[in-house]
Amino acid sequence: MLGRKFARFGFCGALLAAALLTAAVGQEAGPAPAAPRRGPNATPAQREAATHAFLGLGVEPDKAAAARGAPLFQQSCSFCHGPEARGAEGPSLVTSDVVLGDDHGEHLVPFLKAGRPDKGMPSFASIPDAQLHDIAEFLHLQVEDVANRGTYHVLNILVGDANKGGAYVAANCMSCHTDASFAHIAGKFRSPDQLQRGWIWPNRPADHSLDVTAIVKTPDGATVSGRVVQISDFRVTLTDTGGQNHVIDRGPGVDVEVHDPLAPHQAMLMTLKNDDMHNVTAYLETLK
Amino acid sequence: MKLVSLLCAAAASLSLTGAALAAPDHVFLDPGAIGKPPVDSWTSFNGDYTGRRYSTLKQVTPANVSQLAQKWVYRITGVGAQRGAPEPVIKGTPLLVNGVLFTTIPDHVYALDARTSRLLWQYDWVDHGGHLVGQRGVAIWKSTVFFQTPDDWLIALDANTGKELWRKQYADARKQYFSTSAPLIVKNHVIIGVGGDAMDMPGFLNAYDPDTGKLQWTWWSTPRKGDPALKTWPNEAASEHGGGMTWMPGTYDASLNLLFWPTGNTNPVFAGQGRPGNNLWTESLVALDADTGKLKWHYQVSPHDTHDFDDNTAPILFDRMVDGKLRHLVSQASRSGYFFTLDRLTGKYLVAKPYVPLDYVSGLSPNGEPIPIPDKDPQVGGSINIVNATNWPNPAYNPDASLFYVNSVEGKSIYYLVDDSAHPSGYGGTGAGIGVSKRVLKAIDPLTGDAVWKHEYPNLNGAPTTVAPGMLTTASNLLVTGDDQKDLIVYGADKGEILWHQELGANVSNGPITYMLDGKQWLLVGAGDSLYAYALPDGAASR
Repeated sequence: MLGRKFARFGFCGALLAAALLTAAVGQEAGPAPAAPRRGPNATPAQREAATHAFLGLGVEPDKAAAARGAPLFQQSCSFCHGPEARGAEGPSLVTSDVVLGDDHGEHLVPFLKAGRPDKGMPSFASIPDAQLHDIAEFLHLQVEDVANRGTYHVLNILVGDANKGGAYVAANCMSCHTDASFAHIAGKFRSPDQLQRGWIWPNRPADHSLDVTAIVKTPDGATVSGRVVQISDFRVTLTDTGGQNHVIDRGPGVDVEVHDPLAPHQAMLMTLKNDDMHNVTAYLETLK
Repeated sequence: MKLVSLLCAAAASLSLTGAALAAPDHVFLDPGAIGKPPVDSWTSFNGDYTGRRYSTLKQVTPANVSQLAQKWVYRITGVGAQRGAPEPVIKGTPLLVNGVLFTTIPDHVYALDARTSRLLWQYDWVDHGGHLVGQRGVAIWKSTVFFQTPDDWLIALDANTGKELWRKQYADARKQYFSTSAPLIVKNHVIIGVGGDAMDMPGFLNAYDPDTGKLQWTWWSTPRKGDPALKTWPNEAASEHGGGMTWMPGTYDASLNLLFWPTGNTNPVFAGQGRPGNNLWTESLVALDADTGKLKWHYQVSPHDTHDFDDNTAPILFDRMVDGKLRHLVSQASRSGYFFTLDRLTGKYLVAKPYVPLDYVSGLSPNGEPIPIPDKDPQVGGSINIVNATNWPNPAYNPDASLFYVNSVEGKSIYYLVDDSAHPSGYGGTGAGIGVSKRVLKAIDPLTGDAVWKHEYPNLNGAPTTVAPGMLTTASNLLVTGDDQKDLIVYGADKGEILWHQELGANVSNGPITYMLDGKQWLLVGAGDSLYAYALPDGAASR
């Protein structure tokens, strides 16, 4: 646009990765700063509570009661409704009107006592009220585990073949990297899924060695270079090696060339096959 | 023409002195005006029924757009954080009727004097549940304003006082139904859609009588007993819990009496193993009879969706000569990354083509529907696929340039299956963006699906997929939108050169609108918690 040369784009950063952790799902996620407790540094409990509130999920289940109710449910209810109440011979209860209309057993307990004889559901009047309340809380916890995606966690993602992963690394990575790049790499991440993210798209380190840089030529013939603080169609902000900031309006005659040292990783990502991703992660996980 | 605009300008300058004192007119919108191309009003979410977001106004031109001056800024205050959003964001399209603007955020409606931004009345709703993620605006019929609340009430308000006339609850927030949409008025129908995919509930559209609030019809977005479309589901229970929300306003063709409505993602969202089949009519563009809600045809954008491709973008209606014949067409740039153009009488496809780089499709079905590659479904070990290629912020179509505009996002995400059981429920998976995502404005020829021009927005922080500026285009060859760095940007619609920009207090967060008021063409843009109004200064208009 406007005759500017702008051949190379390659922007992003760890910030983006953090922002997008929740951005890809739902009608819309709130902006990252809106809900810091849903970010990658939140504790699981903070993430659960924040997502529960954000989604407007109503009262929270009593987890202690639900734990007491679990064996009762398995004993009396799971045969028909399945171990997680998602239905078997009987219907799913996590989408049941009666369950979703109940807060803490005020509807469910009388319902369980009466049963639904016309549909083959017996009365559970012989079970004490306190235990029926516990069963109700167990059901609410099953709903919470489904509806509150802040409670979700990945399964065992190590599904790849480490030998094949080693071969992929040898064939594709060593033109830029050395063995030292990968030494003890798995020990630097909290979990295999963090490792998987981290090798595909490394966090830009604090020493700025992987920062996006730019060379800006101004109409008077001067050249400014440094790491990019931000860039838009109208302005580029650089910090030079001396730590000085430069804010340059991108008017006519201003030429900006951007360089992203992670561009080869972006190119890899755009064509990376799932099998190769799984295999490389399995391989790197062996390098503790 | 020139004489007319000169006279108008003269009349405007005469009346301007009194404008600040004059009270806005009594609000009364002739139902026959709804859906017509907007001139001195903006009467529905998309301005007219076609969804083009195209204005016939020509006072603001490429030559004088840089002279646009700010007339006022209206900031929403006193609301504060709304469950997860630290400050209100205007995502709705304001309506303008008789000099009164109606704008919204979740739970709140504001009526403003369009000349001064003076608050005329405010309506505050206290919700009992629901997700406060956005609010797209109101609908108006005669002197009634219709508003949807987060907890699924349709509220009818007196447009002149803000007093509540009646209310109807159409869904249960305890089932995680929530509402963000603007109602669509067609004839004597107030048509409302609904959102909510945290639980596995079916989507629907309801039509209500605007006078009484009586329910006229319901269309369910998944099939029920006896419907042949049930064969695209493993069983009736899966269909009844299959999602397909209707959370953005559709478009309407009066000559066919057909509504065109996009349906959202399938449930369970990321875990598709419990629902083998194409899962109709989720992830589809459907054509419905406006008087009965009966399905006329469907085209499924993302058969067996497992990526929350949540089809909700505007189906834009236009007519074009194709091989010597006038064709009545509808185009959509879907969140799945596919652009398609269909015959709107039959739903038969002319074009189905990716508009972002993607590799999850093996080919097209005989109906032109993309066939997903199963390996690209979310997996326990992770699966790489595209981020949503766009979202609800509205696209536009300019009939002079014959171009369809969309703010797209190009990038990748890793999708994990977190519930690999035979009976998943809810989301059952996650998606997290990785690497560079970039926003690219594309001007697409809808007869080929190819971009005639594009503009990549430079941004060190990439592009969020869910919130982006909407679009407005005009008969004077303008395209109005913005970037993710608080810039309101005006492009030449045919070639894409940047004509003007203005830094606002926040990113453009709604679809900009334009209208004539007192002889001036105004431009109104929502950005964050504020509305910004622009017009040319005196003297500039006649140039």
